[in-house]
Amino acid sequence: MYRLSKLKYVFPIGLLITFFLDGALSNVFSGAFFSYPYSMVSHLVLLWLVLGYFFENEVQIPLTGFAVVTGIAFDLYYSGILGLFMVLFPLIIGLTRAIGKYFSPTFLTAIMIYFIDLAVFEFANYLAYMIIGIAHASFSSFLLYTLAPTLALNLVYFVVLYFPISLLYAHYNVEPRS
Amino acid sequence: MRKFFSNQRLVMIVVILVLCFGLMGGSVALRNRRSTPPLIQQFGNDIVGFTSTVVAYPVNAFQSGVNSLSELTNAYQENRLLKKQVTELAQVKVRNQTLTEENKQLKKELKLNHSLTDYTTVTASVMTRTPSSWQNQLIINKGETSGVTKNMPVLSGSGLVGRISEVNKTNSKVELLSDSNEASNRFAIQISNKSGKTVNGIITGYQKSTGLLLMGHVTSKVKVTKGTKVITSGMGGVTPKGLYVGKVAKVSEDDYGLAKKIYIKPATNFNNINIVTVAELDS
Repeated sequence: MYRLSKLKYVFPIGLLITFFLDGALSNVFSGAFFSYPYSMVSHLVLLWLVLGYFFENEVQIPLTGFAVVTGIAFDLYYSGILGLFMVLFPLIIGLTRAIGKYFSPTFLTAIMIYFIDLAVFEFANYLAYMIIGIAHASFSSFLLYTLAPTLALNLVYFVVLYFPISLLYAHYNVEPRS
Repeated sequence: MRKFFSNQRLVMIVVILVLCFGLMGGSVALRNRRSTPPLIQQFGNDIVGFTSTVVAYPVNAFQSGVNSLSELTNAYQENRLLKKQVTELAQVKVRNQTLTEENKQLKKELKLNHSLTDYTTVTASVMTRTPSSWQNQLIINKGETSGVTKNMPVLSGSGLVGRISEVNKTNSKVELLSDSNEASNRFAIQISNKSGKTVNGIITGYQKSTGLLLMGHVTSKVKVTKGTKVITSGMGGVTPKGLYVGKVAKVSEDDYGLAKKIYIKPATNFNNINIVTVAELDS
């Protein structure tokens, strides 16, 4: 039960931290992240949400709800354009669930599912911004200069953070004695 | 597969898609038209902004630590160079003072209260940057309560970096000149050459590959040389006159050979901005 678990506190706190770290890291390392022609987009918050699915075990975290809230905050605070991320984050959670149920959760399957998530996320983001006229990049340059570096950065995040976060969950994912 | 595309689901998906794009289109349109976003959006942004500073603080502290370490290594050389400049600066300062004084008196004679060069500034620090490859947008920690309004020019380091695109109560968003949004970098600028002749125009684009600003459609015959300083011209009445933009990097013919294109090297690196100054035209 999520409501009895200590994750009730840990998960939202982690969500908040990762949400703001995305922006803070993008600002601090903007020279490295956005050096022409490559642009790497930091998606720590997505990592936290997806890993929430892999590590929740019996504790059912209401991930979709959290994803919607995160998406709305992302739209309001970061992009200023409403409507995209509030749908995209829950969509990615749904996608992870849909694929994840066919595999047993190991590091290898998790990283591959996360890879698919990221690709879909970035592509949907590109497509939507292309339609409303914010992005002006051709598809090939999107693949080469945005998607590839973004995947690289976020998979590095994944490799580095997978085990620490799994330990964190193992520590807090204990049913309290009733 | 048949189950997935049952009628109900299909309708749901279509409704969500329509809502989604409606919202996006609506907010883009609103952003271009209104001076402030709706109250609810402002309120949300202010709350989020407050918590953001809590997380951003240690990260920024870490960065400034690293920065000061790297600065320490070339401090000696810089110091020698700066000492030379300081001696000159004192003279310029005194001259500046007398000129300002004179300017004030002359304006009084003419009964001219405000000219385009009068502006006040609000200094703000950068909280975060939008983590996106499509938007070059910063979020700064001053908003409506500090007198920031939409479309004000934003300076950092020694030059112009962008303009305010959204204002909330306690924070606001800055669109950098490097943003691909067409409205973000249309500033009226002027270039004066050595013989005192001026070329007027606007910034028409940003070349990502070289990091240069573009001033297109220049039909004036005035000769502009490389290294000439570019400042805002104050035309249009939103931007004050005399904000430093950068230096001319190269002048070339445009695609049809009828007009000139002037490339400008911006004075500030858009990828390393921590403190900004928002300039407000006195009126």
